[in-house]
Amino acid sequence: MKDKFEPNIIGFLCNWCSYAGADLAGTSRIQYPPNLKVIRVMCSGRVNPIFVINALQQGADGVLIGGCHPGDCHYERGNYLARRRMAILKKLLEYTGIDPNRVRMTWVSAAEGNKFAEVVKEVTEDIRKLGPMQHFKRENKW
Amino acid sequence: MVDEKRLRDEVKKTISRDDVKYVVGYEKGTYGFQATPCFAYKPEDADKFIFSPLCVHNLAVFPMLEEKPPLRKGEEPDTRKIGVVVKGCDSRAIVQIIQEKGLDREKVVIIGIPCTGVIDPKKIKDKFPGHIKNVEVKDEDDKFIITVDGKTQKIPKEELMPDKCKTCEYPTPVLYDILIGKEIKSTKKEGYDEVASFEKKSLKDRWDYWEKQFEKCIRCYACRNACPLCYCKECMVDQLNPQWVRRSVNLSENTAWNLLRAFHLAGRCIGCGQCERACPMDIPLMKLNKKIEKEIKEMFEYIPGINAEEKPLLAMFKPDDPEEFIL
Repeated sequence: MKDKFEPNIIGFLCNWCSYAGADLAGTSRIQYPPNLKVIRVMCSGRVNPIFVINALQQGADGVLIGGCHPGDCHYERGNYLARRRMAILKKLLEYTGIDPNRVRMTWVSAAEGNKFAEVVKEVTEDIRKLGPMQHFKRENKW
Repeated sequence: MVDEKRLRDEVKKTISRDDVKYVVGYEKGTYGFQATPCFAYKPEDADKFIFSPLCVHNLAVFPMLEEKPPLRKGEEPDTRKIGVVVKGCDSRAIVQIIQEKGLDREKVVIIGIPCTGVIDPKKIKDKFPGHIKNVEVKDEDDKFIITVDGKTQKIPKEELMPDKCKTCEYPTPVLYDILIGKEIKSTKKEGYDEVASFEKKSLKDRWDYWEKQFEKCIRCYACRNACPLCYCKECMVDQLNPQWVRRSVNLSENTAWNLLRAFHLAGRCIGCGQCERACPMDIPLMKLNKKIEKEIKEMFEYIPGINAEEKPLLAMFKPDDPEEFIL
């Protein structure tokens, strides 16, 4: 059997919308790729760019950040702040030569199980095309 | 040309005030093309103050470096002010720190100097190699007059200025209590030409370039220590639990450090170029800073270090911020 590259994606999903959306996708038995490893955060505004860079260092091929739709944030403005941060981080990564498609952001509400599955499919396919992240992987893992 | 006598008089006047602890300025260095930061605690100390194109340092770091040891019983906190001699770019750093509430406006006396451009220490070292003493540098329209051991030379400013001065839009301090000399209107414009030409390269070329640069990094954190805006009590790279960036010097950790340093200055970096000047390995850090500066100008129409009343860039938002990258 040929070794096929399976992307390793870290998902930071917000507790109130995206995580519930992922849950809905599961309970509704919607199929989506198993490459996404979910970390639940209380808000997408909790996602520090350090998390993203650290994930890429430790062997993730991509990072997906899920938040509530603008205006729906449980903390009123967390997702707006995350949006600004990620816009800058993506530009910075692109500038240093790391494909900005490795870091994705999405708005998924608790009722959008279908959309969540679609997004994960799209992100997985994109990162499969990009291949493994080899730019600044940590050499020794402990 | 800055009137040094007036500068000394003003420093003397400032230090004579009861509510001023000390004034930070520049004095002549011990050798070569150097000027060093110096402190005036007494009015007599003001006599050593100078200002020449060799004064490259950003003295806005000093109010932030001050240690505040815990008070003894019955001891009153020292509420005296600190005087700082600033150029145009340095004053923007102070505005930015005040905006972030890192410093109280009441706690600083700003002595502003309109600046027509400084000399890049790295560039002048290439021009005049060796151990040089007896140096005098003056500033005339678009030339630097450099006298080394009695021999005078006129060199166009373009050759010796750091890149930040070539595109400086704020030569006159934005915020000051005392201004030495007349205000200067800037005729230069920041076009981000270098950033734009670098952006045109392919992803792979860009990574190859930065890989080489980041591999050079020895993680001395000189960039952080020279930066007036890196004043966190505990920097994230010094943190041990959780330890986000490890202490080993290799490409992975160096990249993480350099990217995060640039990101932590997003919307705060005022482009004084101290990080690049302090870097012993000549990593072009300003290229990263300028890129972010350009992007935030385009995306959020925000320029750091101009308005102390405004909210910091990443602490506010507009509902119609760009979101074309969101799925």
